[in-house]
Amino acid sequence: MAGMPETEGGPPTPAGSTAIAERPTEESLIQTPWVTIVWDDPVNLMSYVTHVFVTYFHYAKAKARRLMLQVHTEGKAVVSSGSREEMERDVTAMHEFGLWATIDKAES
Amino acid sequence: MKKFRRKGGAVVTRLSPYEVELLASLVAQLVEMITDGEPETYAQPASDDPFELWAQDLASDPDQPETHEDPVLRRLFPDAYPHDAVASSDFRRFTERELKTKKVTDARIVLDRLGATELGTVELRIPQAEMQAWLRTLTSVRIAVATRLGISDAESAEALAELADDDPRAFMASVYDWLGFAQETLISAL
Repeated sequence: MAGMPETEGGPPTPAGSTAIAERPTEESLIQTPWVTIVWDDPVNLMSYVTHVFVTYFHYAKAKARRLMLQVHTEGKAVVSSGSREEMERDVTAMHEFGLWATIDKAES
Repeated sequence: MKKFRRKGGAVVTRLSPYEVELLASLVAQLVEMITDGEPETYAQPASDDPFELWAQDLASDPDQPETHEDPVLRRLFPDAYPHDAVASSDFRRFTERELKTKKVTDARIVLDRLGATELGTVELRIPQAEMQAWLRTLTSVRIAVATRLGISDAESAEALAELADDDPRAFMASVYDWLGFAQETLISAL
């Protein structure tokens, strides 16, 4: 492989430093996934809800439609899952689009 | 109005002077409501200076209620954590200002574009870059109108179609239909 400068004795380490691994928080140890739930509402058009799922989550049209229909027929659908921070971002985006969305812990 | 249709890289339609005034008035009312009558405080931050943003944040109302009393605002800015009032309140405090700013920015794009039609004498032309702002704003306006009309579920939405012509809600119901038509044809023209 070209382009990597050879260094003697491996990568340099800062003198006098002690490597302390960052202590993982309890939450990340348990790996609690969070979910974004979109709820049915009588106002938003089916075509619009599908459009939002395609535009924001980049879901394929078929998946976006399936989720939209789940919201419509079952009253709600989990549309994304991940860390709490990621879900807060997704929920904010859904609220920007005018969808009724909430955050919850994933059912295990 | 006619259906929105694709033309070049944009989506276009023609609105009557009355339709332009009606939509502009609804969007302006939305901005008033979201900003509590102070739209200038929700302008896009002029700089990325963290201190300025911090100052803005401190200037925002610290006694903000945990949820909105107005049903329209409650629907536009819903609780993120339905089972946790404290988490919902924290989330609101950290995100709502930016969310309001985005809604106001979207609304301004719509108002500018409506203004450019010169009361409908010029075709309404929505460029691709403004499409999401239009869709989001039409959604917010539809939510506001629907909430005022008492639409809370599928049944109350359907009941609206049965209103007598002399029902006091008949006018708003026709506005609601018109907004739905505009949004539906805008999406199918994408």
